[in-house]
Amino acid sequence: MAVDQDWSSVYPTAAAFKPASVPLPIRMGYPVKGGVPPPKEGNLELIKIPNFLHLTPPAIKKHCAALRDFCTEWPSALDSDEKCEQHFPIEIETVDYVSAGTSIRNPKARIVTLRVKLSNLNLDDHAKKKLIKLVGARYCKDTDVLTIIIDRCPLRRQNYDYGIHLLTVLYHESWKTEAWESEKTEEDMEEYIWENSSSQRNALDTLLQIKATENVSNVTKEDLLASEVVRNYRNSVIALKNEGETESNISQYKESVKKLLNIQALP
Amino acid sequence: MAARRVGVSSWHRVLSLSGRCGRCSSTNTALGKTVENSEDAREEIVLPRRKTWDKLAVLQTLASTVKRDPTAAHYMFQDDPYLMPRNSATARLFSLSKESGRNAAKYIIKEFPHFFDKILAEPNIPSLMPEICTPQIEGVSEEALKERINLRMVKASVDLFDQLLQAGTPVSLETTNSLLDLLCFYGDGESTQEKESEEKEDLEESEVNASEQETPKRPPQRGSHPSASRWRENNSAERIFKIMPERNAHSYCTMIRGMVKHGASAKAYDMYTELLNDRHKADVHTFNALITAVPFLKDRFLERWELIKTFLNHMAQQEVQPNVRTFNAVLKTLRRCGGVGRSMAVPVIKEMEALEIVDLAPSGIISEVLDDVEKRSFTPQDPDDGKFFISAMQVCCDLKDIKLAYRLNKAMEKGDNWKFLDMDRLNLYWSRFFSLLCMMEQIDVVLKWYKEMSPSLFYPSPKNILDLLQALDAANHLEMIPSVWEDMKQLGFSKRRDLLEELLSLMSRDQQPEEIQLAFAKCAEDIKTVHEQSGKDQAPVEWTGSALGSVTVVFSRAGRTQDAWSMMEHFQQINRIPTDLVMDEFLNCAKQTNSPDEAIKLVKLAVSLGLPSSQKLKSRVEKEFELSENQKKALESIQSDSDSSDSDSDHD
Repeated sequence: MAVDQDWSSVYPTAAAFKPASVPLPIRMGYPVKGGVPPPKEGNLELIKIPNFLHLTPPAIKKHCAALRDFCTEWPSALDSDEKCEQHFPIEIETVDYVSAGTSIRNPKARIVTLRVKLSNLNLDDHAKKKLIKLVGARYCKDTDVLTIIIDRCPLRRQNYDYGIHLLTVLYHESWKTEAWESEKTEEDMEEYIWENSSSQRNALDTLLQIKATENVSNVTKEDLLASEVVRNYRNSVIALKNEGETESNISQYKESVKKLLNIQALP
Repeated sequence: MAARRVGVSSWHRVLSLSGRCGRCSSTNTALGKTVENSEDAREEIVLPRRKTWDKLAVLQTLASTVKRDPTAAHYMFQDDPYLMPRNSATARLFSLSKESGRNAAKYIIKEFPHFFDKILAEPNIPSLMPEICTPQIEGVSEEALKERINLRMVKASVDLFDQLLQAGTPVSLETTNSLLDLLCFYGDGESTQEKESEEKEDLEESEVNASEQETPKRPPQRGSHPSASRWRENNSAERIFKIMPERNAHSYCTMIRGMVKHGASAKAYDMYTELLNDRHKADVHTFNALITAVPFLKDRFLERWELIKTFLNHMAQQEVQPNVRTFNAVLKTLRRCGGVGRSMAVPVIKEMEALEIVDLAPSGIISEVLDDVEKRSFTPQDPDDGKFFISAMQVCCDLKDIKLAYRLNKAMEKGDNWKFLDMDRLNLYWSRFFSLLCMMEQIDVVLKWYKEMSPSLFYPSPKNILDLLQALDAANHLEMIPSVWEDMKQLGFSKRRDLLEELLSLMSRDQQPEEIQLAFAKCAEDIKTVHEQSGKDQAPVEWTGSALGSVTVVFSRAGRTQDAWSMMEHFQQINRIPTDLVMDEFLNCAKQTNSPDEAIKLVKLAVSLGLPSSQKLKSRVEKEFELSENQKKALESIQSDSDSSDSDSDHD
């Protein structure tokens, strides 16, 4: 092959491996005993496998340059990822499938994936919690992304419409408060709330009893609640319950309990 | 994988709200409103409109990035060094066999459609499925008639029409017209398959001919009609025409065109006068047909021209715009008008250019123009006549105009014109182009084209090789001759005597530098083996005197004395006399290689052949060679025998 030959003309489209046209000394296959793999002439192994000889980098460059006319310009105002996310928070993902065969249809092509960050939605605390309860496992807490995969309709467009409808419905439903939501029990809570919990009651009762035995009266619950030791205790219990047990959490709890019960370190 | 971000703005577009509203109520789709609109307004995000394109645009664009591969054969052949055709005969054979395979497949699908009824492709490709040739609608009705007309079943539709009339159902004018079209097109014969392949008209454009082929070949000459399609007296078309209760212009036009097509020109003219009497207007196709029929109506040239002018005037009166085919027809008729025609052709062309019809598609006119008028310059267009390119190239060769040839080439490469040259014509076209190149261009350009064009585009003909050799000779590039010989062997020209002679004479004409001489000698040896080989059924190529002489000279110059001597012996076999040049060269060679025996043998040969120069040779041998005693004696003895012409002398 001459050095200046146009390779993209030799392999303009996907074609089988032609040993006479490809000037490379390729060997492929199981080696003969004590020898080397068979050469490329008449080598079925090379012909069987798919090759990308038609998509060498210069060929791809040429294709891209030619296809540039089909593309429109990227909006100049969207020059960073954050801006894209800010203006277009919902991401839609669809997949097209191509295969060699008599049919162009593929049932997997109807699947639509919808992704949105909940921080981009206008939700207050109750709405967000309700939405997360409604969607369940589709919400990822670490990245704050809600992912909905829709494949219940036979056509992609229908799935897309359904996905948008679903998001709308979720949003509006999460803002509404139903009557039975007031029956939310402690087991339904997503995070630990110290107010009106057994821990608060226990702590207050204990402190009141301590104060009663010390004959200090006229100490109200509100004073106790407002006092710093109780506040510390409250924070440490909340931290323990919400974040799990870590070294710092447990030591913080220990300190707060010691302060609460006025336990001095043993000499 | 396609990911799209849907945002506020696109929703607004979807709902076609003009401005950006502030707080939207919850019934409005206010999804994802993260910031207030006042911030949005600061940077205007302009989403461009989506571009649309037709189905093939992307593929065509990608195809435009790819050029022709000069190292491969035509794309229709298997790209394998063993399976590629090497010369034009095999190329034609392969392409014909491929085509016949395709035809066989089509035949099978047509004959056995019940094997091909399962639809495998999704979505269905109707052109690959067998077509329905039998009419579905049974019974006597107008729809059935229409269907049979669509399926081109001439006899069946005529019968059905008669049945309908007998049953009393009126047949609408449209249907009758389409029936007339069918009959006039097929001339009352049955539209069988052979008919379809014979009749490839491109002048007639009746509605019946809906499936026009892409490469219309030139219609058969008007003079020789296939005898099956003569316009019989009172055939079905005329009969139906007569019993039609009402006729419109279309009916007349169809009848005229049919009559012209099948040779009844006089009747066509009568029909035309009837049409004028009925005060109908004829359309442009009818006029075209009439103009084509003119040579059959009148005999003398002037009368013909007058008639043409009459028709054109009528056209102008009836405000019918002439199209390219009108001019086509005019020019074709002018061809038959002899001298008068020639003078008229040029103003016609000028008018065509004035009307800018020349830029539009079909025009076989250029071939007419070139053949008749020998116009010197024309604007290359997009003609779709296959023969055009061949004849145009021929004219370029005759005119020896290389620039014109380049323009023609460019025109051919443009657009879809490559479709109109199939294998033989391609070969012919390129072969002529190459001869023109050899004649007119510098050797570098010639060689560049040669490398590019063969073997992928065309296979050089013997004439091309001769031209190439002459061009090499003119440019003093004789060192390319061995490679040309290789090509010749590949093309299968190694047994052609004229090429061999030319090759050998070129090789032996001048003294060449060392390496080239050696290469030539190898070539000559090859040629020698060709001569001595005899195939199974072929007779070996015989030596001619000049060929033998050239080979000897080449061998001598390369210093291969033994080979040269064996060549000399051949001379006796074929009863030819070597020239003086040969003898001298041989002696030179013998001197160089210091073989006085050979020299003496040469002298003996010369004497035995009775050459007049043998004396000179002998003296030369004596002078220039160092001869031993024996050799001197031998030389002497030859001398003494020089008078007797047919006895070999014994010498020791």
